[in-house]
Amino acid sequence: MAASSSAGRVLTLCNHFKNICRITPAINAQKCTATLSQYQSHLYRVNSPLLTQSLSRPISSVAQCRALHTSISRRGLDEFFDLPENWGESTVKSGSSWTAKQLRAKSNEELHSLWYVLLKERNMLLTLEQEAKRQRLQMPSPERLKKVERSMYRLDTVVTERETALRLLQTGQEKGRPGDWRRNIFGYVYWYRFKEYAIPWFMNTRYKMKRFYTPKFVEPHIRLRIEKHLRIRAKKRTLEKDTRAKLKEKFPQMKVPAS
Amino acid sequence: MPVTRVLFPLYQLGNPQMRIFRPNWFLTLVRPGREQPPDTVQFRIPMEMTKFDVKNYLEKIYSVPVGAVRTRIQFGSNKKRNHLNQKVKQPDYKVAYVQLAQGQTFTFPDIFPEKEKTPKEGSMEEMQEKFMEDEKQRQKLDPRRGGVTEWFGL
Repeated sequence: MAASSSAGRVLTLCNHFKNICRITPAINAQKCTATLSQYQSHLYRVNSPLLTQSLSRPISSVAQCRALHTSISRRGLDEFFDLPENWGESTVKSGSSWTAKQLRAKSNEELHSLWYVLLKERNMLLTLEQEAKRQRLQMPSPERLKKVERSMYRLDTVVTERETALRLLQTGQEKGRPGDWRRNIFGYVYWYRFKEYAIPWFMNTRYKMKRFYTPKFVEPHIRLRIEKHLRIRAKKRTLEKDTRAKLKEKFPQMKVPAS
Repeated sequence: MPVTRVLFPLYQLGNPQMRIFRPNWFLTLVRPGREQPPDTVQFRIPMEMTKFDVKNYLEKIYSVPVGAVRTRIQFGSNKKRNHLNQKVKQPDYKVAYVQLAQGQTFTFPDIFPEKEKTPKEGSMEEMQEKFMEDEKQRQKLDPRRGGVTEWFGL
C-alpha cells in the first residue's frame, strides 16, 4: 500500500526530528544502543524477549557497531518451542513486560520487529500451554503469557497513538474512519461511521431506506422517555437519601460517606 | 487485544493489496492425536485464518517451506451441563494440517522430559525434605521388636 508506506516514511522522519529536538541527546543515544543490543539478544534468544534490564547496561561505541549487525535466527518450526535447555524445568526466568514508556522511546522499525518477536514468543507459550494441558502437567511460568499479552497490547496502543498524531498533523482528523453524529427514527443520537459504497447514495436504494431523521409523532415518546429516565434517577436518589437518614438515626456516630 | 477492525477500502482493479503490519493471529502447534505422516504438522489456528493465511504466515514469519495446507473446524463439545442443567459449550477451533515442502519432516519433541531434581543447598525445599525424612525415621517402629505392634507386650 503506497499511501501507508509513504505515511510510514513521514512518521519515521517525524521521529528523527523529534530525536534531534531532544534536550538530552546523550541519554537518547545511549538508550538507542541499549535497545539495539537488546534486539540482538532477542534474535539470538539468549534472553527472553521480556528482559528489559539491559537499559542500564554500560555501552561502548564498539557495542554499537556490533549491534547494528543483526542476523535472523533460522530455526523454523523449532521456534514454536522453548530453548531445549528450558525443557522440563519447573520455572523459567523472565523479565518484566514492556511498558508504554519504554515503547514510546522506540522507532517504528524497532516496534515493528519487536511485534514479531513478541508474536513468536506468544506462539511458543501457547504451544507450551497446550502441551502441558494435554499431558496434565503444570505449565512452567505461566505468567509469561500475561506479560507478552500486555506488552503487545501496549505496543498496539503506542502505534495507534502515533498514527493518530500523524493524522492530526496531516489532515486534522481525530478518527481514522470519518463519521458524523446522526439521529435515528427513535430520536437517539449516535455516531455514524462512514463507509465506502460502490455507487453514489442517491442510486443506492438500500442506503435510502435508512432513516436518519426523527418524525414529528415520535416527540411525545421522546418526552416520555426523558420523564422515565428522570423519574428513575429521582427514585434512586431519594432511596439513597432515605437509607442514609435511617442509618444516621440508628448510628449517630457514623461518618457520612463522601459520595 | 484492542479490537483493530480494519475497514478495507473497496477493491478496484489495479489497487494494491492490503498489508497486515501487525498480525494478531496466534498459532498453536499441537501434538497430533491421530498419527500423521512425518511431513505433516498440526496447528490450532484462529477461526478467521484461511489456508492461504496459514501458508503466508509460516513462510513469511517463520520461513518454513509449506507445501499444502488443509483445514477443518473442530466442534467443541456441548455435552457438559452446569448446575442449572444448562448446556455448556466448549469453544470451537480450527485445525490446520500443514504439509512441509522440500522433503522436510517434523516430529513433535518431548518438551517435558523427566529431569532429576536436586534441590539447591540451603533452599526451602531441601530443608523440607530433610525434615520429612527425620520425621519418618522418628515414627518408625523399633526394629528389634520384629514388627510386633506397640501395645502388645509387657
